[in-house]
Amino acid sequence: MQPTDENAPTPGPLHRPTPAARAGRPGRRLRRVLGAGAAALALIAATAAGPAAAKSAQDDGGDGDGDKAVLTAAVAQSVDSLSPFLAVTLVATSLNRLMYDSLVNYDVKTQEPIPGLAEKWEPSNAGKTWTYTMRDGVKWSDGKPLTAEDARWTFHTMMTDEAAGAANGSYVANFAKVSAPDARTLVVELKEPQATMNSMDLPIVPKHVWQDVEDLGKFNNDSDFPVVSSGPYILTGFKTDSYVTFEPNPDFWRGKPKFDELRFKYYKETDAAVAALRKGEVSFVPDLTPAHAASLEGQPDIKVNDGQGRRFWAIATNPGARDVKGRKFGDGHPALLDPRVREALFLAVDREVIVDKVLQGHGVEGEGYIPPRFGDYHWKPSAEQKIGYDPAKAARLLDQAGYKLKDGKRVGKDGKPLDLRMLCHSTDARDKAAGKFLEEWWGALGIGLDLQCLDNVGDPWVAGEYDLAFDGWSVNPDPDFVLAIHTCAALPESEDVVGQTDNFICNKDYDRLYAEQLAAYDDPGKRAEIVREMQSVLYDTGYMNVLAYPNSVEAYRTDHIESITAMPAGNGNIWGQDGSWSWATAVPAAEASDDDGGSAMGVVLGGGAAVAVVVAAGVVFTMRRRATAEDRE
Amino acid sequence: MSTEALGKDPGPEPASRPSAEPAAADPRALARARRRRSAARFWRAYRRQRAGLVGLVALVVIAFVALAAPLLVGADADSVTDAPGTALEDPSTEFPLGTDQFGRSVLDLLVHGARISLTVGLLAAALTVGIGTLVGMVAGHYGGWLSGVLMRVTDFFLVMPTLVLAIVLATVMSRSVTTVIIAIGVAAWPKTARLVRAQTLAIEARPYVERARALGGGHTHIMLRHVLPNVMPLVLAQTTLVISEAILTEATLAFLGLGDPQVISWGGMLQDAREAGAISSGHWSFLVPPGIAIAVVALCFTLSGRALESVLNPKLGVAK
Repeated sequence: MQPTDENAPTPGPLHRPTPAARAGRPGRRLRRVLGAGAAALALIAATAAGPAAAKSAQDDGGDGDGDKAVLTAAVAQSVDSLSPFLAVTLVATSLNRLMYDSLVNYDVKTQEPIPGLAEKWEPSNAGKTWTYTMRDGVKWSDGKPLTAEDARWTFHTMMTDEAAGAANGSYVANFAKVSAPDARTLVVELKEPQATMNSMDLPIVPKHVWQDVEDLGKFNNDSDFPVVSSGPYILTGFKTDSYVTFEPNPDFWRGKPKFDELRFKYYKETDAAVAALRKGEVSFVPDLTPAHAASLEGQPDIKVNDGQGRRFWAIATNPGARDVKGRKFGDGHPALLDPRVREALFLAVDREVIVDKVLQGHGVEGEGYIPPRFGDYHWKPSAEQKIGYDPAKAARLLDQAGYKLKDGKRVGKDGKPLDLRMLCHSTDARDKAAGKFLEEWWGALGIGLDLQCLDNVGDPWVAGEYDLAFDGWSVNPDPDFVLAIHTCAALPESEDVVGQTDNFICNKDYDRLYAEQLAAYDDPGKRAEIVREMQSVLYDTGYMNVLAYPNSVEAYRTDHIESITAMPAGNGNIWGQDGSWSWATAVPAAEASDDDGGSAMGVVLGGGAAVAVVVAAGVVFTMRRRATAEDRE
Repeated sequence: MSTEALGKDPGPEPASRPSAEPAAADPRALARARRRRSAARFWRAYRRQRAGLVGLVALVVIAFVALAAPLLVGADADSVTDAPGTALEDPSTEFPLGTDQFGRSVLDLLVHGARISLTVGLLAAALTVGIGTLVGMVAGHYGGWLSGVLMRVTDFFLVMPTLVLAIVLATVMSRSVTTVIIAIGVAAWPKTARLVRAQTLAIEARPYVERARALGGGHTHIMLRHVLPNVMPLVLAQTTLVISEAILTEATLAFLGLGDPQVISWGGMLQDAREAGAISSGHWSFLVPPGIAIAVVALCFTLSGRALESVLNPKLGVAK
């Protein structure tokens, strides 16, 4: 019943990988190692190339290839699959949105649901029957008409074929029957009313192409080009961890995109991507570090977009992992079952410092659960509820809970010192940086912290073998998914099965409210109110504490891209939108500017100095070596 | 010439055995005097190696700085919550090498990092040489099938790239300094084992060892009293060379994110600089100093090791 696609691992691996994503990443460590090597090579290349090379590279980057306007974007995350039935990573779901339109889109300015492939839709039978009227005259890129039958086939396949439900099966779990009485009418009958029918943004695939696929669980949609599309772009080429290329779809019903080609190029190192942006080899780079943003800010022909993020970044505590039937497993620290200990931990965290020092201002202090950009659904704790920064109160709470200070360490009644483990994503510099702060804050309280930075935090997490963890999810304009992952129903069937649950939270009040908001399909105001109340309940359970909402920090070349749309209006993000707006509406710059800043000069000089020192040392060493070698003869 | 340097003279020449000395003098005093003489002789020989001397002086300075780090820069230089500066500042009088992404002084971190780099370098080298010496001596002394087995194991580790093996080991074990030491130690020993085995074979072929055996000296006696003191010079020289290798490997592992993230090391600083985006944003003062520090320390150990080798190695020493 939830759209999992958008919530799957996003570029910053703040995410706990979902099972599918986890299975798809065996060679991560190797890639990191290779990536490090690539960074070193890139640095050498940057040092060697100099400004002359930069200029020529720029020419074939933006407006090169004759008169063809090419938009090149740097990406880092690997594509798990280009099949909308299987894709869960942010990069793959974003690419799918370029190819396959959905019944309902989100408005680029307001993030409200607006008509997409469906012109209008109507609930009846107390919200249990939904009738979608398809847009007239929409065609697939091969000229065949796009009808309600395509949508019916897509949903029906997901309901009946287990393999096809891998990514979004839960979205249709509540569907009883899907039918297409005529080419323009789609009728979905539900078992229970569900508000998310107002935001049906599942990609619709062409039946006439996909019905011939033998095994949807193995078909990755990346072999037969061009791929038949209904979205703004047509997939024309793909090579794992190398590139993805698109051509504009001339028949796209919102209008053909202005760029002649859209290219996603892989840079496993942000440093290499930033160097490529400076030289004009790429036009867009997402996921910048604060240092990158600061150094790119004010550069000629480069615009830094510091958009409000759609993610929350939180500390999760293990509430005692258990399955649906209440059977406990894992080895979470028993001290964390005491709400006073959890509150003490959160009281010792200064979120302002996290935003200031770790995010260096590129983010918003965490309070509720859903980020502030989703206006109506955003909630703030009341003054008496709020767990602010108060280490003195934290120390008092620990005393009350029976953890007395002894030689600078908190010692429990059993005489054991209070030492906690914390899962962090080793690929995420933010986790590691925040971990250093937590270690010192909690260390001052007398609590020991063992930061366990892993490439794959999923395994210990699913097994319940953690005390604390860094947690984070992207939130959709319809918040259903991130709310559903804290319901009791999301708990795993047994300890060997991966459930949808985020953090093994199960609370009766929360579940009741969850059901209520889902049923409030006809009253958005009431639904938003219930969603806010749910966040209040979640906050009071004290199992999760949101540190911050990190911004999406991205940069693009204004001499390649004249304009690109951020979502929502104001200060939104460009990469990883709930839709294909940024790429579909980007306008190429009229003429590439000749001016190329000699920005990497500092590094070149510094690197040159380092090289000189090393060479000098080498010469001295070789001479000495020769001297001893002579001695030997 | 070589054995005296270590002051553990087993007495390879019959004439120098204590029992043959005049009974009037105290044998202990004589041994002390002889050791003093050989130490002086060693120092005179070492002093002639100019590069070795430079390396040694630099090492003494670096070791002093590392030991005195808490006094020089304060024990909480690595604290992120009390960081004095703002993120990635350029060099200034307050921060001669600028600051890192938390606002900590890079110079202070560099001084702190010397502790880990040197500790890991020394301990890993000790582990490497320990394993290598044990395997090499046992294989050289016993020979036969035991030697065959041990040398095949050595060959196996020898053909495996050290760095790859160390990465695998560091990955499967938990992240800590001990892990890094073990990973380097276990990955780098085969070269030493080969060297020591060769030297053991050469020494055991000498007549006095045969005589000791004829007089009833057991395996342990021969290995500890006759072979070990004679392979020690080689081992010592090898140790100093392995240290620089170990320091480089430690830095590599830390740079690849396999070190202990909670301690400051030079390789870890390079990794931090990379993660913070210091490379492409032009903050060379965060990136270059740890790299140069690694190179300098490795160079110093290599220079000292080479000098030591040419002083101590029996084959190289004869020419002098």
